[in-house]
Amino acid sequence: MGLGQLASRALLRSTGLTASKPHRLLLRRAVVSTPELHNSEAAAVEAPPEPDLPKRTPVAGARVHFPNPDDAIEVFVDGYPVKIPKGMTVLQACEVAGVDIPRFCYHDRLSIAGNCRMCLVEVEKSPKPVASCAMPALPGMKIKTDTPLAKKAREGVMEFLLMNHPLDCPICDQGGECDLQDQSMAFGSDRGRFTEMKRSVVDKNLGPLVKTVMTRCIQCTRCVRFSTEIAGVQDLGMLGRGSGEEIGTYVEKLMTSELSGNVIDICPVGALTSKPFAFKARNWELKGTESIDVTDAVGSNIRIDSRGPEVMRILPRLNEDINEEWISDKTRFFYDGLKRQRLNDPMIRGADGRFKAVSWRDALAVVAEVIHQVRPQEIVGVAGKLSDAESMMALKDFLNKMGSNNIWCEGNGPSPNADLRSGYIMNTSISGLEKADVFLLVGTQPRVEAAMVNARIRKTVRATNAKVGYIGPSANFNYDHEHLGTGPETLTELAEGRHPFCSALSNAKNPAIIIGAGIFGRKDKDAIFSVVETIAKNINAVRPDWNGLNVLLLNAAQAAALDLGLVPESDKSIESAKFIYLMGADDENVDKLPDDAFVVYQGHHGDRGVYRANVILPASAFTEKEGTYANTEGCAQTTVPAVPTVGDARDDWKIIRALSEVAGVPLPYDTLSGIRSRIRTVAPNLLHVDEREPAAFSSAFLRPEVKDKPDKAPFETAVDNFYMTDSITRASKIMAQCSALLSKK
Amino acid sequence: MLARASQRLLEIRQAFRQLPQASRSFSTALNYHIDSPDNNPDLPWEFTDANKEKVKEIISHYPSNYKQSAVIPLLDLAQQQHGGWLPVSAMDHVAKIIEVAPIRVYEVATFYSMFNRTKVGKYHLLVCGTTPCMIRGSREIEDALLKHLGVKRNEVTKDGLFSVGEMECMGCCVNAPMITVADYSNGSEGYTYNYYEDVTPKRVVEIVEALRRGEKPPRGTQNPQRINSGPEGGNSTLLGEPKAPPCRDLDAC
Amino acid sequence: MASVVRGAMKSIREKGIGGFFRALREEGYLSALLDGNLMQTKIHNIGATLVGVDKFGNKYYEKLGDTQYGRHRWVEYASKDRYNASQVPPEWHGWLHHVTDHTGDELLLLKPKRYGVEHKENFSGEGDEYIYHSKGHTLNPGQRDWTRYQPWQPKKA
Repeated sequence: MGLGQLASRALLRSTGLTASKPHRLLLRRAVVSTPELHNSEAAAVEAPPEPDLPKRTPVAGARVHFPNPDDAIEVFVDGYPVKIPKGMTVLQACEVAGVDIPRFCYHDRLSIAGNCRMCLVEVEKSPKPVASCAMPALPGMKIKTDTPLAKKAREGVMEFLLMNHPLDCPICDQGGECDLQDQSMAFGSDRGRFTEMKRSVVDKNLGPLVKTVMTRCIQCTRCVRFSTEIAGVQDLGMLGRGSGEEIGTYVEKLMTSELSGNVIDICPVGALTSKPFAFKARNWELKGTESIDVTDAVGSNIRIDSRGPEVMRILPRLNEDINEEWISDKTRFFYDGLKRQRLNDPMIRGADGRFKAVSWRDALAVVAEVIHQVRPQEIVGVAGKLSDAESMMALKDFLNKMGSNNIWCEGNGPSPNADLRSGYIMNTSISGLEKADVFLLVGTQPRVEAAMVNARIRKTVRATNAKVGYIGPSANFNYDHEHLGTGPETLTELAEGRHPFCSALSNAKNPAIIIGAGIFGRKDKDAIFSVVETIAKNINAVRPDWNGLNVLLLNAAQAAALDLGLVPESDKSIESAKFIYLMGADDENVDKLPDDAFVVYQGHHGDRGVYRANVILPASAFTEKEGTYANTEGCAQTTVPAVPTVGDARDDWKIIRALSEVAGVPLPYDTLSGIRSRIRTVAPNLLHVDEREPAAFSSAFLRPEVKDKPDKAPFETAVDNFYMTDSITRASKIMAQCSALLSKK
Repeated sequence: MLARASQRLLEIRQAFRQLPQASRSFSTALNYHIDSPDNNPDLPWEFTDANKEKVKEIISHYPSNYKQSAVIPLLDLAQQQHGGWLPVSAMDHVAKIIEVAPIRVYEVATFYSMFNRTKVGKYHLLVCGTTPCMIRGSREIEDALLKHLGVKRNEVTKDGLFSVGEMECMGCCVNAPMITVADYSNGSEGYTYNYYEDVTPKRVVEIVEALRRGEKPPRGTQNPQRINSGPEGGNSTLLGEPKAPPCRDLDAC
Repeated sequence: MASVVRGAMKSIREKGIGGFFRALREEGYLSALLDGNLMQTKIHNIGATLVGVDKFGNKYYEKLGDTQYGRHRWVEYASKDRYNASQVPPEWHGWLHHVTDHTGDELLLLKPKRYGVEHKENFSGEGDEYIYHSKGHTLNPGQRDWTRYQPWQPKKA
């Protein structure tokens, strides 16, 4: 027998080995992942090896969702067995097991980069430490997170990260909430071995909102990935190589995204910080109040950070159903408007046309006197964009007691359709939009009207290549879309099946039609709605398991106002009004008012509304009161007072309650819970806080037939300036700066 | 007294000067763009008609949904066409061709040191500065070049003919030290990228002068006694016929 | 001891008895009788080298040799009754704390003129007039009607 035969035999044996290996692996996997094997006998047999391990709770409430129970695999984190779905990374498995892995570049909502190397863990049988954020967990993997090897690896990474990081924590705005600071407490050394000069990087100008100190950057590329993937503006990039690497735009460019403020939150160090908040406060001095945002109809969940009587900054709060963990720039930076142009004293316009500060007693007496002098049908009440449900309820009850029913909320148009709840809310729900595969946007530009809804649509478009059709004036989108037309005739074409986009719509499994609230102001809105409903019927958009007919509202007060039935009796009432009560309404057209009308303005900002007013009653802003707001998907949420009211201002509903007393028609409630039980009789859904109440009936089949055809007039832009939409944002200096620099003209 | 004070002062100055100096040298330019009359985004930039054919050919190498893979060949072509450097408008144009955001092209162009983002001479001389060449005297060669041309590193001579840069290892360690001459004088058609190996401070000056006269000095090793990478004066070992490998012929044993 | 007595006699002869006692008081020998710290400093000073005097009159001494290493540099403050560590100006701080071997006079030569802010000692606890009260603080005598928000002003019609 020659050597050749030996060699070939060895070869054979080895091939046999390789052939049997996957077999064994397969078998093993089958044992691990088959649920029936794991249920009773297997668990009974393997029950003992869970001795002295304390019960672990997942990090930050990390939840495991098993889309397919067969795909469950088991891994061991520090000896603790944990079941996770297939495809999870090692880092996610550790989170489920309750072990927090340090990380800089990894972020749940962004793609995986794996370039910071901070998340190194030891995996049994792996020769080197493994970057857990980028490593898929395999069945039976034994992950060790607290071994000397893992610790040493992380210490090494930390030393490299700190090598070029400046020691300016005392003057850094991230100090106290800095990931690098926190993790260097665990893995950093008290002295460095680096004796060269530290690197320095030129700061970039990213606009009026984001302050950059690029020397502090650790090149995690979270901001690059955020702006590319979520904000949809490909401006930021990683330039250069090696130690000269830096984040930048190469050419001088401002970040013109409506979500740019979020890079401040995701930056793990102090390289990107808030410009308006720079050097204003330390984060441990601030009191956080969990509240909601009222500058648009989305109702983003926010945390209002205040120090004493001042709102210092606004941060997002996690809510998977509404804003995930982002907020728009308007929400984040309008807070300086809360400190400017505030109404702090009741005022009466004297005979000479000048305002004079008076006491509450006098002001209410004057209003009560005048309201009794006019005929009931000449009394008109308008609730503003930022009104909460309680005050709108009080205003409606008060005016009804005075004999008038002419009360509405601005933005809802002259004759809103409040009968069917599905006719004015987002029936799909904001998170439900992710299931849609075709979008039809009718007269709405979500990017300026509701930035968070737009982010959700963009996420869907990016993930599933969903098609977007848009009807309206030419607009800016940060995803691929088809501009179908500008006016209702395109809708008619779609309804009659004459448009090329029809095939996309009818082939869609879950089509979502979004109608902008801008068309509420049109005379032919009923006709437009009926055309849209025809389309919805044609493409089967409203089914028991899917409701794709949505209205995207513009203001925080709109949904609650319609729930409460704030509908004017006649659409011409404002032209014959003698007494008009503006509750924070600034965008109502007061020029149509007769000259001898008496205008009461109750609100918190000296904005457009006050200039025609005869009496000004100062009210509190949403950061200073408790109030219920319903967002565009019909989810009721409450604000919580974060700071005290300014001057002599009072809560809206309290002012109306006091006025009713002075006017001799006292309202039957004098507490917030009293007013809420009154709301329960009108719109019980407003009391189900933080729950989305879907509409009970769907309007597509219940609405009366509309015979007339829609006009030829094209749709108009509902929001001209994203940064300035209401009295608070118009008072804000930062928003003024933004609209000057960032709005595309 | 005064003399002693000033003496002491000098000593103090000396003591304080021992701090490490902030000296960093990059072979590439800044990682951000500064507008200048000959380099700003508003300048029009187009591939020439001949190069447009090449662009089509390059793009055809890649699947139509992965056009962005063509970024490096296209940038290279643009650089050859534009006399050895890439203005920002050329990068914008490449971004338009491969349908990506301009920043994605900037990222690539700033990453590779072979892409020049500032003006270079018609003959861009690149001196290898990596360890083997450095040991064999690349510093002297660079000094000789700079002195002869009267420029600093990455600076263009007044006549626009020459510029000197530094490059990391170009894989010619066996013939160290070496320089590379990137010839942009004839656009992308006559573009050459030649290695001159085994150079001496005297020889590089001769090469420069030959280039100035429009000659083409022979590339490769400049040591007349060597052939390619062979030893000086011919082979000294392995002179006989190579022996057959031992025990590889399995049937023979 | 004899040399001390001889020095004192010489000084009395030069200045007269009144002048001698005035000098004793100015140099702090009288307060040293009640202030142990100062007395210890004075005792230390015997045989030490005077390295320098700063512009406030603080004297910096050094004694190498038989003193414990690390206690070989000290300061005698100019003020004999109310002294604290913040009276040492920054240029001498480094020498005094063994950060550098360059004396304050030498470091002063290097100090750029444009940063010429005069050193000020810390007056904390020395009375309200020295304490900084922020805008709007009860003890801040300025602006009493200051608010954190800006009220709306009706336009002059």
